[in-house]
Amino acid sequence: MDNRTRDAGGAGRRQFLMAMAAAGAALTPVALWAQVRTGADAPAAKALAPSQQALLDRVADLTIPDSDTPGALAVGVPAFVALALAHGLEGAGAPVPAARFTGGAAPEGATVLDWLTFELDLKTGGAFLAAAPAAQAQALAALDGAAYAPGGPPGGDASPWRVLKGLIVTGYYTSEAGASQELQYELVPGHWDPDVPVGPHARAWSNDWTAVDFG
Amino acid sequence: MSTEFDAIVVGSGITGGWAAKELTEKGLKVLMVERGRMIEHGSGYVTETLAPWEMPFRGEGDAALYARDFAVQSKNRHFTEFTQNHFVNDRDNPYSVAEGTEFNWWRGYQLGGRSLTWGRQSYRMSDYDFGANKKDGHGSDWPIRYADLAPWYDHVERFIGVSGQAEGVASLPDGVYQPPMALNVLERYAKGIIEQRWPDRRLTIGRTANLTQEKEGRSACQYRSICARGCSYGAYFSTQSSTLPAAQRTGNLTLITDTVVERVDYDARTRRATGVSVLNVKTGERRRHTARIVFLNAGAFNTNHLLLRSGSDAFPTGLGNSSGLLGTHIMDHATTVGAVALFDRFQDRTTYGNRPTGVVIPRFRNLDRQEGDFLRGYSFQGGALRSTWTRAKREAGVGADFKAAMRGPGGWRMVLVSFAESLPRPTNRLTLDLSKTDAVGAPLLKIDFSHGENERKALADAGREASAMLTAAGGKVVLSLDRPGAGGSAIHEMGGAMMGDNPRTSVTNRWNQLHDVPNVFVSDGAAMASSACQNPSLTYMALTARACDAAVRLLREAKI
Repeated sequence: MDNRTRDAGGAGRRQFLMAMAAAGAALTPVALWAQVRTGADAPAAKALAPSQQALLDRVADLTIPDSDTPGALAVGVPAFVALALAHGLEGAGAPVPAARFTGGAAPEGATVLDWLTFELDLKTGGAFLAAAPAAQAQALAALDGAAYAPGGPPGGDASPWRVLKGLIVTGYYTSEAGASQELQYELVPGHWDPDVPVGPHARAWSNDWTAVDFG
Repeated sequence: MSTEFDAIVVGSGITGGWAAKELTEKGLKVLMVERGRMIEHGSGYVTETLAPWEMPFRGEGDAALYARDFAVQSKNRHFTEFTQNHFVNDRDNPYSVAEGTEFNWWRGYQLGGRSLTWGRQSYRMSDYDFGANKKDGHGSDWPIRYADLAPWYDHVERFIGVSGQAEGVASLPDGVYQPPMALNVLERYAKGIIEQRWPDRRLTIGRTANLTQEKEGRSACQYRSICARGCSYGAYFSTQSSTLPAAQRTGNLTLITDTVVERVDYDARTRRATGVSVLNVKTGERRRHTARIVFLNAGAFNTNHLLLRSGSDAFPTGLGNSSGLLGTHIMDHATTVGAVALFDRFQDRTTYGNRPTGVVIPRFRNLDRQEGDFLRGYSFQGGALRSTWTRAKREAGVGADFKAAMRGPGGWRMVLVSFAESLPRPTNRLTLDLSKTDAVGAPLLKIDFSHGENERKALADAGREASAMLTAAGGKVVLSLDRPGAGGSAIHEMGGAMMGDNPRTSVTNRWNQLHDVPNVFVSDGAAMASSACQNPSLTYMALTARACDAAVRLLREAKI
């Protein structure tokens, strides 16, 4: 399948989701998922479909934007997330069960990106990537809020968003700019000081390995 | 009878390196045989200075590869993309476990073995430990007491360099220390509260084989805390940094790598070992090496495996197994997270540098009086830290505010990990799995190990006490566990060739000789008769140095 077909599939999915959103998202019939998935990913291909790549770019940018230091998109976090998904880092390789989807239906083997596409499209009335930036930010904030709500989301396991956000966070703070500009990185501290003041502009140590493991 | 070498040392890890150093320094011609590849000090530490962004998987590693090739090793906390080349490939190095049991056998087959990746915590055992088997009847009475080993602990600590604080705590005897690394601000505060409320408890800095002062060509610690990648400063004890150069300086050492010892050769006529049969894993060549004595330092379970595989008409169930006890009474420590607590105090204070050790609270239970519903005791290791970026995974928020909130140091937390003594039990044992063979046709080692009720009760008590101490220090406990992890999780697997004076109830004697074959010395963790609850490597080293001294004396007296 070439990229153009995939994009066409992506457009089909948007139409489907817009229709669903219009109908109040009462149902997500598995039969219609087949249509949605035609644009998502060919099973054999590890590269992301352009629509999923665009989604990942946008979501990474919204999660950790540029400020006085580069943000997640600028430092190439989407490429790390794509690699992490392909290799199953932090449990990201597992399919997302249907119960995790709003409406409770999904095709066999739905990926976290399928889930994210579906949920964000739903929250923005059918087409997250075409929505206004403020609406996108609002949709992602709502998704994040639900994923971290006390008591956890329905369905028991953590929201797939926690897995994706974990990968974005890892990708960002292990990038050179994230580790050494946004935070501090010092390969050879040279000495140990057990008690120093925290200044008003203090930055955490990205290479405090004990804190990385246990913090 | 002329032999190719005076001594053969099997293994180049923590105790193999020590045996090679001691024996060569006493004038013996020594062959040290390492099954794994050569890793040169410094130049062999290929990931040492790399940053996460220079690693293909940012230091986390390829989860798909790990699932396939490192299914056990990757569960180790020290296993990362930076250190994976210091761990074995599980697919190539299989072992069996008894049905219904689990055992994490974490290994490193390379020059230096696990001395490259060890936790460096260096503690002496006390007479509470050496007397424990006799007192409660579990296992075989140790044939030695603290006084027998104390001078050898001194000898080892002086050479490897241990930083720590002398405390005068009876359950954790003081040693010869370089200046201690300092407790951080929260640890110091917690120490004050805990010791005031519980005068029989002590919180002290972890005694660690990381230098705080330069020593014999080795630099002081640079506070990177990336030890397991290998340290070209030589600031922690490893074979490469310490014992190997000392052995090589004598001119008496021959080192071969990529060579597996397949059996210890035994002459029934002289009732002595004659040497070892080896396989070069690169060329496939098999040959024999001969020596007057053989030191087994292959790592506790591999030493057992080798003895079990070295059976003969004289010893049909394994070399030196006339007692039938070879492989039995294996131990680990039962370990879990005693408590994790969050603290509001000291938000205006933090630390600089990465200290490669934590804190320890030595055993305080069941010393001079029985207190709980369990035998023996436990200790805690842990420390306090301020969270860093990984907290962003579990905190709500996206966008500019989230990014800004994650910039500074996170809150303080303190962790106490419980280590409970593992009772020596005959049912916890190693055998050969004759139904499965490895790549070169040897039967696999089968591990049958379970923690018992005593360990579970000890960990339950430890969880309560850890929570009480952190709460008293002003913390809010967010996690406390009391079930042990799978066997092996403390990476303190030991026993199987336990020491004792009685050849019918033990495998090795007070000098670490096999009772049955006096020119074979077992001086790694296999010889342990009980586990205590402290990290055992220092004791293995002291036993090895002591056994080498005895071996040379016995050789000179022509008694072996």
